[in-house]
Amino acid sequence: MKTGTMRAFLILCLILVALAGAGCSSLGVQPWERDLLSAPGMQLQPDPVVTALDDHIYFSKEASTGGLGGAGGGCGCN
Amino acid sequence: MKAALASACGLLGIAGQPAEATEVRTAILGYSEQDRVQAFEAVIDATHEFGGGKIGNLHVVYDALSGASPSGAVPSQALQSFTRPSGNGVYTTAPGETPLDDTFRDTRMAVSGSLTLPLDRVTGLTAGLYGSGEHDYSSLGANLALTRDFNRRNTTVSLRAGYFDDTINPEGGRPAPFGVMLDQALSPRLDGDGSKQTLDLSLGLTQVIDRRTLVGLNYVFSEVDGYQTDPYKLVSVVDPVSGEPLDHLYESRPDARVKHALLAKLVRQVGAHNLHLSYRYFTDDWGVRSQTVDLRFRWNAGPALYVQPRLRYYHQGEADFYRRFLVEGAAMPDHASADYRLGAMDDYTPGLEVGITRDNGHLITLRAEYYLQTGESHPAGAIGQLADQDLFPTVKAVIVQVGYAVGL
Repeated sequence: MKTGTMRAFLILCLILVALAGAGCSSLGVQPWERDLLSAPGMQLQPDPVVTALDDHIYFSKEASTGGLGGAGGGCGCN
Repeated sequence: MKAALASACGLLGIAGQPAEATEVRTAILGYSEQDRVQAFEAVIDATHEFGGGKIGNLHVVYDALSGASPSGAVPSQALQSFTRPSGNGVYTTAPGETPLDDTFRDTRMAVSGSLTLPLDRVTGLTAGLYGSGEHDYSSLGANLALTRDFNRRNTTVSLRAGYFDDTINPEGGRPAPFGVMLDQALSPRLDGDGSKQTLDLSLGLTQVIDRRTLVGLNYVFSEVDGYQTDPYKLVSVVDPVSGEPLDHLYESRPDARVKHALLAKLVRQVGAHNLHLSYRYFTDDWGVRSQTVDLRFRWNAGPALYVQPRLRYYHQGEADFYRRFLVEGAAMPDHASADYRLGAMDDYTPGLEVGITRDNGHLITLRAEYYLQTGESHPAGAIGQLADQDLFPTVKAVIVQVGYAVGL
């Protein structure tokens, strides 16, 4: 990997960790307020099977990759 | 269980010390394009919570594809004949028709597994392996993910790395880049199999905003090195006046690609229902730029029934080396591909999913979607007869999925 790209990625990592440690600390809920957040419909990826099937379809028909997971690979996909 | 499983994906973080539990999701999917590709796919995804925050996952996919795929060659006013990719036989295309390679038939099996281990109360490490095979393509991969919760588990940061090693062994061997497709004979071939290596790095942030709102941000960096040409795709060389194809060359793509994707997602409870909205921006050094908006609204009609309409919109700009055709006598570019997937396009996916929870807690899901892909049918610069041809036929596909899940 190119040095410049790696440096940019590390800087992004540091920014996110700093955000997580400080900037976001005023947001959120108490543990006893998670009732709604624990519902199936409130998960970022409610159904991993649907996500995987969609990724495969769109990887085969379009030139973009990358979502909530990694970019993935492993398909000839005509 | 739910929160613990989500932590395996690096979404909500390690959740306490739940008891052992297993969740199995299965689905079968049919994908059918009008006059083109037909696909059948079956998936099993099993997750087991061993206790103590240790989670194992196994994901198995089988798919079978058949039908016709555009070769990249342009239509002609005359009958055209093409050598099959294997070199065995010829297929013909009627005047005015898009040349379709009708020998497209493949099955693929993919297996992946992962194990998540808690490193401490708020940190988890996931290690995974991946392997897939089809008759002309195989892939092996490994990945590592580290997730850490902050701020009373309202914030989760995840860092993932993945590596894939793919091998391509096309029927008849790999055509030489820009080699002329010969009549009923094999064109010049490259030695040996093709291979490519992919390095993925991703960085994610999940933040609980309030009791009803959750946001996720994910950046994915991907570097691909090696053989990325599609050995079955052609680029036509046309007459500068008539636009009639004179030759068909095998395409040529760069052997390096660096991709960046940034995805933002919002999940919000609206009344008793759930709104899912995501936006992705994608760019790479092939010149492809795309934007994706995906909206789902889960209408919770009751404790045992939800109805979820969905609309996805995708806009893509063409790759720098996308050429619908080459012109005889003009300077040859370093690379060229007429693969429609590298062209400019606008795609729309409206759909509906229904989920029914049975008395025993098992979940049945039904999903039906329509996929519409549109591109430049009559691009500026189409020469002679090409101005009258459809150079990017619209793709229309129906997607139907049935799922069954236990242990949720």
